[in-house]
Amino acid sequence: MSTGEAKPKLIRVEDLLQRTVYDVDHRAHIIVDPEKCARCPKKPCTYLCPASCYVLVDDRVVFSYEGCLECGTCRVICPMEAITWNFPVSGKGVQYRFA
Amino acid sequence: METKFDVVVVGAGPAGASAAYTAARHGLKVLLVERGRGAGSKQVFGGRVYAAPLREIYEDFDKEAPIHRWVRKERVSLVHGDRMVTFEYESDRTVSFTTYLTQLTSWMVEKAVSAGAIFVDEVRVDSIVRDDAGKVIGVESGGERVYADIVVDAEGVNRLLLEKLGLAEKTRPSQVALGVKEVVKVGEDKINERFGVAPGEGVSWVLTGDVTGNMPGGAFIYTNKDTVSIGVVVYLESAVNMVKEPIHILVEKLRTHPSLSRLWADGDVMEYAARLTPESGYRYMPRKLATHGLMVAGDAAGLLLNTGYTFRGVDYAALSGYMAGNAAVKALEEGDTGEENLRRLYEKPLLESFIVRDLKRHRGIEWLMSNPEFFKKYPALATGVACRLFDLEGEAPTVYEALRSSASDQGLSLLRLVLDMFRVVRKL
Repeated sequence: MSTGEAKPKLIRVEDLLQRTVYDVDHRAHIIVDPEKCARCPKKPCTYLCPASCYVLVDDRVVFSYEGCLECGTCRVICPMEAITWNFPVSGKGVQYRFA
Repeated sequence: METKFDVVVVGAGPAGASAAYTAARHGLKVLLVERGRGAGSKQVFGGRVYAAPLREIYEDFDKEAPIHRWVRKERVSLVHGDRMVTFEYESDRTVSFTTYLTQLTSWMVEKAVSAGAIFVDEVRVDSIVRDDAGKVIGVESGGERVYADIVVDAEGVNRLLLEKLGLAEKTRPSQVALGVKEVVKVGEDKINERFGVAPGEGVSWVLTGDVTGNMPGGAFIYTNKDTVSIGVVVYLESAVNMVKEPIHILVEKLRTHPSLSRLWADGDVMEYAARLTPESGYRYMPRKLATHGLMVAGDAAGLLLNTGYTFRGVDYAALSGYMAGNAAVKALEEGDTGEENLRRLYEKPLLESFIVRDLKRHRGIEWLMSNPEFFKKYPALATGVACRLFDLEGEAPTVYEALRSSASDQGLSLLRLVLDMFRVVRKL
């Protein structure tokens, strides 16, 4: 095995999302109820959303829909049922090419 | 203005496209509605498809379909740290192949259109419409209605429409797994060289152990024509409690894994993707697969098989779509689209098909997946044994000694080991 190669570095999620093509809608297709969300003790979305759409900032979840991969995980795991989830309309959202 | 079709199919994935193709071929007036832009743009899968059912549905499948590589090598690895124990099976039969689901689905939609189906993209169906008697009469999108004698729901794993209709309950974490995937550009010759395969031949590789952060699930590697698809699948129920870092980091650790990364060294990540899959297929099946004027196919029907060493979803989806298409033809010939008749024509043969028999027979995986210990201890045990047997620096242990000492490292008694192994073999 070669030892001269540089060890590959982990790519940050914001850079990973750059590899995927989107046509972002100006209307959000996911709506989070901030009150329910604030009462959630576990906030599993902050780990399990593959696009890191849910980020913990000062104990509060900050949500953005732009990088959404449309998998539906947040809808299934949200213990507070704080998420109103649908697919984007008009063909907007993620545009997979090689998946 | 009222528009009426014989069949409206919701969702142009492998199930929906195959349903539309089959119904249109038999002369029905078919509308195939897709929320994405163009065909295939919302499609994600792991990377491998079994060909036999597709050959049954599509003539000239082998000649025309976008097949990247026929799987020649099957690998299963238990991974612990930078050590792994791998089982490899090699065969030159053309049983399964790698591709992009985006491409395969586009091809299926083309076939449906050439058979006479009308394909409409960029339309998100908001609801399935019923009349006062409960008969499904069409679909609604943005306030506009399209009517049909039969609706085929092939909406996928996120069953927003079936939930709204009351035919499926809200998806629970125990019913699905999350798959996260990267497609890495490597180059055709480099893949042949690094994976030891001839042009047109490929590798399907399933890995388990600490590649999932010891969460129940697994990782996969598939060789495409000039890229590799790599990814991680975790069961949501245990992941919710066990996950310790953002999930994309698991895939990135797989990509940069010390024993694996040389296979795609210097390769650019071309796409990052994710999807849910019905993981305990049989448990995700709706109470009924047909009601008056409606049939449910593909992931929405929970038709995905996970045996622990292989996964089948695309061919099952396509086959269920094909069966729904055929059932639509018969039901309209008979002039009876009632629940009883659709269940007789579609649900009954589906439940009796090898698909559902497989789903039932392989339910042991559910038991395995609810035992996170297995995913931690056994890969560590196997690599521990191999390390003792092969990384010889002094005394060479016997197989028994290596097993006993590795088992004791994992806190497993030999009796427990034998019982566990017996159970795994029985269950899988």
